[in-house]
Amino acid sequence: MLGPGVAWYVAVAACLFGIGALGVLIRRNPLIVLLSLELMLNGGNLALVALSRHWHSGAGQIFALAVMAVAASEVCVGLGLVVALNRRRLSLDVDSLSELRG
Amino acid sequence: MTPGSWLCLLAPLAATLLITLLGTRISRLAAAWISTASTFVAFGGAVWAFLGVHSQPNRAGWTGFPPPSPVGRGELTTAWTWLQSGSFHVGLQLLVDPLSTVMMLIVSGVGALIIWYSVGYMDGDDEERRYFAYMSFFVFSMLLLVEGGNLLLLLIGWGLVGLSSYLLIGFWHERPSAVAAAKKAFVMNAFGDATMALAFFVLIAHTHSLSFAPTFGVHLSSAATSLVALGLLGGAAAKSAQVPLQTWLPDAMEGPTPVSALIHAATMVTAGVYLIARTYPLFEHARTVELVAAGTGALTLLVAGLIALVQTDIKRVIAYSTMSQIGYMFLGAGVGAYANGIFHLLTHAFFKALLFMAAGLAIHAVAAEQDIRKLRGVGRLMPYTKWCFLAGALALVGVPPFSGFFSKDSIVASAAALGTWYGWILWLCGVAGAFLTGLYTFRLWFIVFTGEPSPFVREHHHRHRGREGALTMLAPVGILAVLATVGGWLQWSPAWHPLTDWLTPSAPTLPAAAATATQEYLTSAAVVVAGIVGIAVAWAVYAERRLPIPAAPFWRRLLEEKFYFDALYDRLFYGPAAALAASLRREFEEPVVLQTGTDIGDTTLETGGVVRRIQTGFLRTYVLLLAAGAAVVVLAFLIAR
Repeated sequence: MLGPGVAWYVAVAACLFGIGALGVLIRRNPLIVLLSLELMLNGGNLALVALSRHWHSGAGQIFALAVMAVAASEVCVGLGLVVALNRRRLSLDVDSLSELRG
Repeated sequence: MTPGSWLCLLAPLAATLLITLLGTRISRLAAAWISTASTFVAFGGAVWAFLGVHSQPNRAGWTGFPPPSPVGRGELTTAWTWLQSGSFHVGLQLLVDPLSTVMMLIVSGVGALIIWYSVGYMDGDDEERRYFAYMSFFVFSMLLLVEGGNLLLLLIGWGLVGLSSYLLIGFWHERPSAVAAAKKAFVMNAFGDATMALAFFVLIAHTHSLSFAPTFGVHLSSAATSLVALGLLGGAAAKSAQVPLQTWLPDAMEGPTPVSALIHAATMVTAGVYLIARTYPLFEHARTVELVAAGTGALTLLVAGLIALVQTDIKRVIAYSTMSQIGYMFLGAGVGAYANGIFHLLTHAFFKALLFMAAGLAIHAVAAEQDIRKLRGVGRLMPYTKWCFLAGALALVGVPPFSGFFSKDSIVASAAALGTWYGWILWLCGVAGAFLTGLYTFRLWFIVFTGEPSPFVREHHHRHRGREGALTMLAPVGILAVLATVGGWLQWSPAWHPLTDWLTPSAPTLPAAAATATQEYLTSAAVVVAGIVGIAVAWAVYAERRLPIPAAPFWRRLLEEKFYFDALYDRLFYGPAAALAASLRREFEEPVVLQTGTDIGDTTLETGGVVRRIQTGFLRTYVLLLAAGAAVVVLAFLIAR
């Protein structure tokens, strides 16, 4: 098998996921939050594709395609929300949007 | 013949549906005429069916619906099998035979005249369309009852008659008394329906069928037959307002006057008599129960006649006279003279509809007043109404040559024909009843229709466009006055008896109840003399005032309280039931049922108060919780491994 072993790929995927999760948790700008979400999704994708190759099964790659579709639509909605926030001249800060507090 | 019977049955139903579905798209008058026309169409169908049966040969050797032909004359048609369960099946069947054609003619004919009369009577009332839809439905129910080709269809018609009477008695639903009366009628009738249903269960258990033919063909054990006959008698007594289930009938006067006429003359109360005639083989197997029916009739005719003496509401007096006359019919059917009972049913339909509708004319002309003390002397201002009412009153008392004479006397004579002591007691009751009939009928006549008009009448009397009422009201009253006069000439038992011959294939008179000519003549003499003495006493007391009204406070009070039947039922049934309901409400409903609901609500609210704190509104809290949850799941999997 060419290239590094599957463990490396999974490690990189975990790093990506962790960075993304950290970004979602600590950043307050919704654009950055969306970017971080993309990172998390792609971390997951990387793991799926790597393991798919490792196990010689196509299912993981199909899954990755589905995740990409979901990611694309999620970004559409997310960016739409950002544009809408901007139009209403609201500050781009997720912490200020807390009207749904119980 | 068969198309005629279907036409007769379905025309009123079609009118009901049409009026209901068209709603306010048709005028009130259009609804009235649809209803009237459909009932006349039904009458046409009944005539068609009658002629069809008439043209058939009268097959001899008829012995209680032997197979294959269900009846000696007539036809049983099955539209389709309606219910099937194992070997038990019930078809949608119509039976057209001599008995049912006579009933169809009475129901649709007199019903049509009454609905025609309503066109004028209900003019200007609110919700006329609803009224006419109900009236048509009532006629349909009654036709289903008399045409139904098996006991189940008969029971359905029976129940629907109860329902439509409930709707019509409570027609003026803004009056609490009308609603109470409607409920009372419904509950009393439901009691009868229940006993009938129980009787049918016994029949199904023993014969696996509710068709007329096998039911009457199989010989049941005497205990089972008695049970069935008792159940049927309970239903008949409730529907026909016989003692002890009579208390709903006078209260039913809360409905509009044409409704009273329809209930009393053409539909409903006569159903019990029809039931006994229709199921006579069962009753003859249980002869004791049949004689109990006759005794019930005799008791009712006396009780009702006595109560009628002290009533002050014009409609209630006529209502009690109905109870009394139905008592005669029960007496006739109970001793085994079914044809005589049905004949009295026929003449009674004419003169009772006439009396109610003539009274309705008077009530309508005097500001809806029904108290005879206030209506005093209204006849002086309304000669047409007065003479029509007189024809009805004479027919009711049975003065020859009016119709009641021919039918009532033969019933009393057939009681005498039994020859036993019991028969003679029934005979005495019948003659005493004739005296009471003369007395209470002409008490009403002399108070309301003769003498000087009271100040109330002078003040409130008004004419309708120069006449005593709308033409649609006057015409049916006139037709019925003629019928009440000549309708009885159809049959005079000692000399000619076409109706009895006609009904023989359906309900032959029991030989023991066939009166000889001598018995007929002597009974006629006794009944007519008793009736005329009653009239004379009424004249002396209420017109000439030569005799004082006897002051017997105890008896007067007893009659005014209607023999305390209502009070007794209140104590026996209503009181305990209401107390039980109140205690259940106090002990169970409020602490358990209602409290449970409140508790569930309170608990949910408290839990929500705690859980809502998680909902901080900060996106990052949610993400943290999500991540933490995911971490916990992953950890759990790792540890479990």
